[in-house]
Amino acid sequence: LNPAVLIIDDSLTVRMDLGESFESAGFERVLCSNLAEARDALVSRPFDLIILDVLLPDGNGVDFLRELRTIPRTAKTPVVLLSTESEIPDRVRGLKTGADDYIGKPYERSYVVGRSLELLRKAPPPADAAASSNGARTSTTVLVIDDSAKFREELKFVLETSGYRVVTAITGEDGLRAAVDARPDAIVVDGVLPGIDGATVIRRIRADAALRSTPCILLTASEERSGELEAFDAGADAYVRKEEDSQVILARVTAVLRSAANFSSVGSTASLLGPKKILVVDDSLTYLHEVAAQLRQEGYEIICAHSGEEALELLAVQIVDCVLLDLQMPGLSGQETCRRIKASAALRDIPLILHTSVETQQSMIDGINSGADDYIVKSSDLAVLRARVRAQLRRKQFEDENRNIREQLLQKELEVVAANSARELAETRATFVEELERKNSELEAFSYSVSHDLRAPLRSIDGFGQLLLEDCAGALGEKGQDYLRRVRESAQRMGELIDDLLQLSRVGRAALHRDRIDLSSIARGVFDALQQKDPDRDVAIRVQDRLLVDADAGLMRVIFDNLLGNAWKFTSKAANPRIDVDASWEAGSAVFAVRDNGAGFSIEYADSLFRPFQRLHSESDFPGTGIGLATVHRIIDRHGGRIWAESEVGRGATFFFTIPPGRPAALG
Amino acid sequence: MSPNRNRTILLVEDNANDVELTLRAFEKTSIASRIVVARDGEEAIQYLLAGGTASTAASNEVDGAAANRDPLPALVLLDIKLPKIDGLGVLRRLRADTRTRRLPVVVLTSSKEERDVITCYELGANSFVRKPIDFAEFIDAARQLSHYWLGLNEMPPGLDDGD
Repeated sequence: LNPAVLIIDDSLTVRMDLGESFESAGFERVLCSNLAEARDALVSRPFDLIILDVLLPDGNGVDFLRELRTIPRTAKTPVVLLSTESEIPDRVRGLKTGADDYIGKPYERSYVVGRSLELLRKAPPPADAAASSNGARTSTTVLVIDDSAKFREELKFVLETSGYRVVTAITGEDGLRAAVDARPDAIVVDGVLPGIDGATVIRRIRADAALRSTPCILLTASEERSGELEAFDAGADAYVRKEEDSQVILARVTAVLRSAANFSSVGSTASLLGPKKILVVDDSLTYLHEVAAQLRQEGYEIICAHSGEEALELLAVQIVDCVLLDLQMPGLSGQETCRRIKASAALRDIPLILHTSVETQQSMIDGINSGADDYIVKSSDLAVLRARVRAQLRRKQFEDENRNIREQLLQKELEVVAANSARELAETRATFVEELERKNSELEAFSYSVSHDLRAPLRSIDGFGQLLLEDCAGALGEKGQDYLRRVRESAQRMGELIDDLLQLSRVGRAALHRDRIDLSSIARGVFDALQQKDPDRDVAIRVQDRLLVDADAGLMRVIFDNLLGNAWKFTSKAANPRIDVDASWEAGSAVFAVRDNGAGFSIEYADSLFRPFQRLHSESDFPGTGIGLATVHRIIDRHGGRIWAESEVGRGATFFFTIPPGRPAALG
Repeated sequence: MSPNRNRTILLVEDNANDVELTLRAFEKTSIASRIVVARDGEEAIQYLLAGGTASTAASNEVDGAAANRDPLPALVLLDIKLPKIDGLGVLRRLRADTRTRRLPVVVLTSSKEERDVITCYELGANSFVRKPIDFAEFIDAARQLSHYWLGLNEMPPGLDDGD
C-alpha cells in the first residue's frame, strides 16, 4: 500500500511539480487548489501526509492547520507548511500551530519529498504505509555495480548465500536505473567504472529524493587517497578496498544496513543521510538572498533570519542542521547570539559558522571564543562557503555517528555492570539464604532435641512421684503427700511450657500452605474439643457461617485453639458465659472477631498482650503459659494480617484479626 | 479371648526410668502380658531377627521365663531415640524382612514432631503414641494399648499361635 499525500496549493505549477515528485517517490497524491476542495478530499479518505500552502484564495493555511489539529482523524497527520511567507515570524507561527515542518518558497523539490519521507518514518501513519516507497518485499536487496564480471559474480554469490537478494549492474548509468526499479536497501558500487564513476553514482543517489537515504558502499583501489576523499564528499557511507576478501564486504554491507536501520528508528539521528536545513542569519537582505540562493543549489532548505533575536526565536521551535551567523548585526550581536546558542543544551551541537566582513585576527579570536565551530570572511569565494558548510555538516554527521557508537558502547558497558551487580546480588542473596537455612536447621535440631530430651525427665518426675504416693503414702504423711503433688504439678506445667514453646518456634518456621478454608468449621471443631474436655461447662456459642479465608489450615487451627481456648478459660467464672465468632467488613477487607463476656483485661496492657510469657492473670485465677497469643500473633503476621484486642476488666474481651487474601507472605 | 493367645510385648527403650514406669503401667492393666525389654535398636533386631535367642533381652523378662528360642512377640513398643540403631532404623529393618513385615509395631515416644509421625507411618508403623508426662494418663495409655493390641485386634496369621 502506498502512502497518500494531500497537496493544497493555489499555484498550478506547484501542484504539478510536487504532484509529479511525490508520485515518482511512490506516493498516491491528491491535488487541491483551495481549502474547500481540501475539506472534501479529507472527508473522502485518510491521508498520511499533508503539504499545505499558507496563502490560499478561500482562507489561511495556518488557520486550516489549527482546524486539522482539532479533528481526531488528522490530529496526528504530519503537515508540512509550504509558503512564500517564510520570514521567521511566519515560520514560528506555523510551527507553534502544529506544523511538522515549514518550508519556504522557492523550494527544492527533492528537499520537500525527502523531508516528507523522513516525517513518515518518524511517525508511521495510521494507514499501513510502513512499507512506504519500498512497497512490499520479503528480503533485503543489495545492488552491486561493477564492471568486472568475476568480482560481480563472486560478491553476488557471497551475498546470496547470506540471504540477500542481489541485483547487479555493469555501468553507473545501468546502476542508477536499476536503483530506481529495484529500490535496493543498500548499494555497493565500484569507484572506477566506464562512463560515470562510483562517486558520481552516489552523488546522484543522494540527490534523488526517493533514493537518498539508501546506504552506499564505495569500492576503492588501494592507496587511492584522493579518490576516497572524493567519494566521501559524494556521500558514501563506507569504503572498502577492492582487494579485501568478499567476506569483509559482506560484513560491511551488514553493518551499514544495521546502522541505517538504527538511524531511522532513532528520531534524533534520522536526518543523518536526509535533507539538511540551514539557518542563515544576516542583517543584509542582499547578502541573505545571495547566500540562500547559493546554498539552495546544494539541495538544502534555507531559513533566513534578519537578526540574532529572530534566529533564537526560530531555534526555540525548530532544530536546524547548521547555522551561518553574521558577526556584526544591530541588536543582538553575532557573538552574543553564538554564545546563547552554545549555552543551550538542546542547540549546542548544531554546527555554527561565523561570517564577517572584517578580517582581523581579533574578530576571529572573539568568534572562536564565543563557541563558533568555524569562521569565514565574507570576501571569500562562495564556493568556499559551500565547502565549509558541507564540511561542518559532515563533521556533525560523524559526531552523531560517533555519539551513537559511544552510546551503544556505554549501553553495553552498563549492561555488563548491571549483569555483574545482579550476579553479586544473587551471590549475596544465596549466601544469606544458605546462612538462614543453616540457622533454621540448627534451630530445628535444637527444638527436636528439646521435644525429646527435656520431656523424658519430666515423665520420670511425675511417674515416680505418683508411684511414691501409691507405694509409700503412709510414710510420707499429709505434708509429704502435698509436697509431692506440687512436684508433680510443676512437672506437668513445665511439660505444657515446652509444648507451647515448641509450637511458637514451629509456626515461625513451617512453610505456609495457603488454601481457601472455612474458619467457621475450624472454630466449631475447636469448640467441640473444648466441650468434650469440659463436659460440665455450659457456654452459649455462636459461630457465623462461611467465614472464608485463603490461609494455612493447620495454622488457623492453632489460632482458634488459642483464642477460643482463652475465651473458654476466661469465661469459666462468668454467670452466663458466651463466645461469639463473626466477621465484619472494614475498608474492603474482612475483620474477624472472637468475642467473650469473661474476665477481660485492662486495655492499658493491650500492647504487651502478644509478647511471649506476658500474662495478665495470676496462675491461680486462670492457668496458662503466656505463649499462646504470641503464637497467634506470629501466625497472623506470617499471613500478612493484623491482630488487636479490645477489652475492659470484668466485661469480656474481643480479639480482632485480618487475613489479607491471596498474597502469600515471604518465608522467614 | 483365647487362652493360647500370644501376649508377649517387646519394649524397645533405653531409659531405665521409662522401662520401670512402663512395666508398672502395664502391670496395672487387666490383661496379663509378658514384657521383654531391648535396650537399643541392635538388641531389638537381634531378638526379633537373629535366630530369636533372647540374649541380654531375656534377663529383663518380667516373668523370668527364659527360653532358647522365643516366638515373635504379639506387639513391639518402639522408642525413636535409641543408641546404636534408632527406632526408625529398627522399623526399616523389620519391614524389610518377610518374617516381621506384618509384626504390629507401636511407636511409643516423647515427641510428636510432625516429621517423625510421617516417617514412622511411611516406614510401616501401625500406630504412633506420645508418652504423656502425667503418669495417670500414661497408665491409661498402657491400658488402652494392651486392650487393643492384645485383645481387640486380630493378629496377622502366624503370630497368633501363642506359647
